[in-house]
Amino acid sequence: MIISDYKMALASIRSARWRSSLTMLGIIIGISSVVTIASLGEGLKKQVSEQINQLGGNVLTIRSGNVVSKNSDGSVASVNPLALFSASTLTDQDVASIQKLDGVSAVAPMSLITNSIGYEDREMNNVYVVSSTPDLNVVLQDKVNFGAFFIPEDTNENYAVIGTSIAEELFGGVNPVGQTFTISGTNFLVRGVHEPFQAGVLSTIGIDLNYSIIIPPATGKRISENRAQIAQILVQVSDQKRLDVVLLELQHELRTNHKGQNNFTILKQEELANVSDDIINAATAVISGIAAISLIVGGIGIMNTLLVSVSERTREIGIRKAVGATNRQILRQFLMEGLVLSLVGGVVGIALAVAGNFLLRIYTDFRPVITPSIILIALGTAVTIGVIFAVMPALQAARKHPIEALRNE
Amino acid sequence: MAVIELQEVSKLYGFGDATTLALDEVDLHIETGEFVAIMGPSGSGKTTLLNIIGLLDKPTHGEYVLDTRYVSRLRSGQQARARRDKIGFVFQSANLLPRLNVLENVALPLAYKGTLPVRRLKLASDMLERVGLRDKEYFYPKHLSGGQIQRVAIARALINNPTIIIADEPTGNLDSGNSKIVMELLSEIHRSGNTVVMVTHNPELTRYANRLLYMHDGTIVGDEKTKLGEVAKGIKNVYFTDESSVEEHLAHGVATIMREVPPKELSSKKPKLPKAQTKKPRTRKRSYKRSKK
Ligand SMILES: Nc1ncnc2c1ncn2[C@@H]1O[C@H](COP(=O)(O)OP(=O)(O)OP(=O)(O)O)[C@@H](O)[C@H]1O
Ligand SMILES: [Mg+2]
Repeated sequence: MIISDYKMALASIRSARWRSSLTMLGIIIGISSVVTIASLGEGLKKQVSEQINQLGGNVLTIRSGNVVSKNSDGSVASVNPLALFSASTLTDQDVASIQKLDGVSAVAPMSLITNSIGYEDREMNNVYVVSSTPDLNVVLQDKVNFGAFFIPEDTNENYAVIGTSIAEELFGGVNPVGQTFTISGTNFLVRGVHEPFQAGVLSTIGIDLNYSIIIPPATGKRISENRAQIAQILVQVSDQKRLDVVLLELQHELRTNHKGQNNFTILKQEELANVSDDIINAATAVISGIAAISLIVGGIGIMNTLLVSVSERTREIGIRKAVGATNRQILRQFLMEGLVLSLVGGVVGIALAVAGNFLLRIYTDFRPVITPSIILIALGTAVTIGVIFAVMPALQAARKHPIEALRNE
Repeated sequence: MAVIELQEVSKLYGFGDATTLALDEVDLHIETGEFVAIMGPSGSGKTTLLNIIGLLDKPTHGEYVLDTRYVSRLRSGQQARARRDKIGFVFQSANLLPRLNVLENVALPLAYKGTLPVRRLKLASDMLERVGLRDKEYFYPKHLSGGQIQRVAIARALINNPTIIIADEPTGNLDSGNSKIVMELLSEIHRSGNTVVMVTHNPELTRYANRLLYMHDGTIVGDEKTKLGEVAKGIKNVYFTDESSVEEHLAHGVATIMREVPPKELSSKKPKLPKAQTKKPRTRKRSYKRSKK
């Protein structure tokens, strides 16, 4: 019965091809925009989690100040942006005491020295000059493509490891390793070039590594005339299973150093991800909600088309009733038409969104991802809308008196 | 045993001053296997009677027993199912759904019965064979002639093996050649044991019936057994006493002639009908009261 309902619905939709396609347009636009937005959000989340995986799940990030407040269960309750602007509370002493802890395999303090460098007669002002220890290379899992990272003995050398974007802009096709450029008027030698990192829309370590220049710690202090502050410390734990134990020890150690004050924040990578996921989810929901309005408009279109169809096909309804169709069977037939209209619209909308995804991937930096759950939710929404808006016309059809309907030619 | 039994069935349309009494306490028994022709002037209640017999409408008063079952008070769902299983309809025109092909049109009643598609189409195909239109299975109604459409409609009416075939002016839109084909088909169906109730304006067609009802103003004023193959005698007496030949009447369409004759004049001629004494026509504008036994 369902199958023949479906076939009948398809037949009548096909017989009014233009009207049906225009009707579907509302659903198509609605579904394709909702799917696109959801897939952009999903893609963003994936990019963030990939960045996090670049560092590995066994890395803790210590930041100055109380960046986020946490609930008792450890989940992030709120973000405190003012903390980002205060002077850093992290010290070399903190770094030293963390290094002594059991289970810690690498400690990389990061200080932002300056934002500009010079090369020949040019300047670049959109870069991050960061001083850190060779441990950063361990935390980043040795992503040096050309040359090498500096070693502990180089701590006061004018060496630099540069990001791939800087290498391209400054040196073009030339091998950058061995070239020199200037930071605050001091000459630096390029020791290594990082391989490209995931272009981060949201960077978990706060800087874009493709635009970063890493210099040794003592050099950093010298260049900044000791004004450099430790913005954050990346701590790699040797055994991920002991992450929480190490975290507690860290907390205890730092609190002792900071005279019992909690003016620092230790974040697990997954927490960083959660914070950004929450933000992305909220934004996605709001924008999809706006796009969903077009779905309602599409639903009204379906209702309108079905109402016209019901009055045009009054004679047909009469004949169907004369040959024994019950009111319920007529109702079901028109509900099915609404459902097929919206379902086809939904499928086309999803197909459009998939095509749009390809274009976005080719022409933009976005990496949208359409997951099965997005598709299921989109289809579910389309079907629900189709059925809901078909109820009124279908009832109208079902309630027609057979005689009145037959009198209509 | 009567397959159809109407007991004092009345049908009122409208409210208040606009009330029309379309059927007035009609008593009627139709036996299994009868071919009943119903005639009468326009507005005399023929279609109303068929609609009630065909369960498309409910009587305002009175009882209807179909196949020993009281069906005048059924709820619309039960009514639809009874209609599906017991009644086959052939209308005057626009019988078929334009969007379905011939085969699907014939199979339609089976779809509402829940028969599986493959079996449905097989049965429909067999039925089309019976009306001689097997080669038109995949045609759409707009590609068929009027006579072919009526034959498809008859096939559809037969598909559920109904108790009665109901035909309201089935040849009303056809020329005499096509009328003959359609009537021969109905006649063959009748001979194979089916009950047929047909409204017609064409006296010629009473030759296919074995009983003739004559209606006037919502009542049955004439009820005669007729011989198969012969035009009913009473009808001949009433309508063919003037000079013009039967052929001329057929050419002009008897229906138009009947509409032109004022009902009063018709009723004055009525005594010539052999069995017209069953019920005298009454004056209409009386207030209606349900008479309960
Ligand atoms: N739905 C309706 N509302 C009001 N009056 C109606 C309705 N249907 C029928 N009637 C009236 O009932 C009477 C009988 O109508 P019916 O259609 O049964 O006549 P008929 O004998 O079939 O006529 P015809 O030969 O023209 O088909 C007529 O007076 C008609 O106007
Ligand atoms: Mg009529």
